[in-house]
Amino acid sequence: MEKIIDVHDLSYHYAEEQPDVLKKINFTVNKGEWLSIVGHNGSGKSTLAKCLNGLILPQKGTVKVAGLLTSDEEKIWAIRRAVGMVFQNPDNQFVGATVQDDVAFGMENHGLPRDVMKKRLVEALDLVKMSAFAQSEPHRLSGGQKQRVAIAGIVALQPLIIIMDEATSMLDPEGRKEIIKTVRALNKEQHLTVISITHDLEEAIHSDRLLVMSDGEMIREGTPREIFKSTELLHKVGLDLPFAIKMRNALRAKGVPLSDTALFQEELVDELWTLHSNM
Amino acid sequence: MDITFEHVTHVYGSKTPFEKLALDDVSLHIPSGSFTSIIGHTGSGKSTLVQHINGLLKPSKGTITVGDVVIKAGAKKQDLKSLREKVGFVFQYPEHQLFEETIIKDVCFGPMNFGISESEAIKRAEESLQMVGLPASLWHRSPFDLSGGQMRRVAIAGVLAVRPQAVILDEPTAGLDPKGRQEILGLFKSLQERQHLTIIMVTHSMDDAAVLSDQVVAMKGGKPLIIGTPNDVFIQKEKLRAAGLDLPETMTFLNKLLERAGEARTIPAFTIDEAADAVVNLLNGVRDHV
Repeated sequence: MEKIIDVHDLSYHYAEEQPDVLKKINFTVNKGEWLSIVGHNGSGKSTLAKCLNGLILPQKGTVKVAGLLTSDEEKIWAIRRAVGMVFQNPDNQFVGATVQDDVAFGMENHGLPRDVMKKRLVEALDLVKMSAFAQSEPHRLSGGQKQRVAIAGIVALQPLIIIMDEATSMLDPEGRKEIIKTVRALNKEQHLTVISITHDLEEAIHSDRLLVMSDGEMIREGTPREIFKSTELLHKVGLDLPFAIKMRNALRAKGVPLSDTALFQEELVDELWTLHSNM
Repeated sequence: MDITFEHVTHVYGSKTPFEKLALDDVSLHIPSGSFTSIIGHTGSGKSTLVQHINGLLKPSKGTITVGDVVIKAGAKKQDLKSLREKVGFVFQYPEHQLFEETIIKDVCFGPMNFGISESEAIKRAEESLQMVGLPASLWHRSPFDLSGGQMRRVAIAGVLAVRPQAVILDEPTAGLDPKGRQEILGLFKSLQERQHLTIIMVTHSMDDAAVLSDQVVAMKGGKPLIIGTPNDVFIQKEKLRAAGLDLPETMTFLNKLLERAGEARTIPAFTIDEAADAVVNLLNGVRDHV
């Protein structure tokens, strides 16, 4: 599998006298993968995300994106072009007076020719299903729609990687679903690598791989099914569990002989139904 | 302190091309000391509704009674200051409103604004900070050195230091991690149970509404669609679906299991434990029929 990000022994602290907020982090990201990073508030997730596009440079260790070191000043713009970021607050990242101005802003900054911009604008809005709103003003949009416009602005720059830093946490349930659907389509159909920093475990269980952060350390790494097999450690670091896991644990405690594999509600329903049919 | 809405209508941008009917003939009673959750799709009128309770918005038609304060459409010179002292409002992302040099000064700002002496304000601030669980070692530091979750607690302490009789919460846990969320919700539930504070919470979380509330108000198109106990409200799944609202996760799960068993009924269960009991009963019950 081709590695698109390689993080090696990364440490970082915000001020001399303060402890490290990232402590010797090591991991890689595969091309085309959907990776979720979970952890409590203040666990270092967002600092880590900012290291991945060179907004923050490592004090120890290295971060390589598509083979380029973020510490290489000459390569930093190539790296930022390769890594798009969607932040938490939809209102803080809208710069244009209309949806199409906003999507064009990033392309203008990168000095793309006008005919290329026009073509990519149409394609990007189509991908996030916002074509009908091209002329709309931002205050006429919902939070979910604004985040989709932010994603279109990134997609138009044709990045290799999209990082979502709690991009759904300020949205209502419907807006949340819209964004997940949009990004999943970009991941599956456009083969964009997705890194999602999130508290939403119902979202995280759908990813290919999970990293668990606690107090600046990466404490677990694996597929969602591996990670949620044993739940004690996750509980100890203040993480919630996905609904199906909580339900599975509660049922097992009441003597229902369930396995420890079900991750999705549908799987648990299947297992319970099989159990009942065999009774 | 009871809160009553009688035939309240609110129109935004009246007599302009942007005129919008945001509340449409709302009548509602919120009993003193109760926990009421307002649920509804974005744009259903939830925020407009609660902003009437402390006089941020005035009704276009109808009357709102909050304790002994009456707000009538069209009436002038209403005593909004005493109303706002009685009804605290925790806005979305209240930490954005912190501004003072130290945490304690920030929490004192509210009570002093209502004419409380500095020494009394400090006493109340200390009490409130203890209530929200912020360690005393931090009180003389800048609020801007705190984490997001801690900043939110400071902002909430500022509202509590005014000693309101009712508190409105607009999405109080948005953006917090699961642990922070449980702490904030637990705080308000205990304030309601122990100090008989009336709590009105606007939320997108059906799970929180179901577990915490005495009364749930489901809004649709500026009108209450259903008002009742969590039981009354959440068994009406078709009506809720029409309003774009989900069921609590526990009930969604039970529904999937019931559908598999070919049963159309709905079981109200709001905690994981209640739902697990329902599953056990269901397994046993279904087996008995075979």
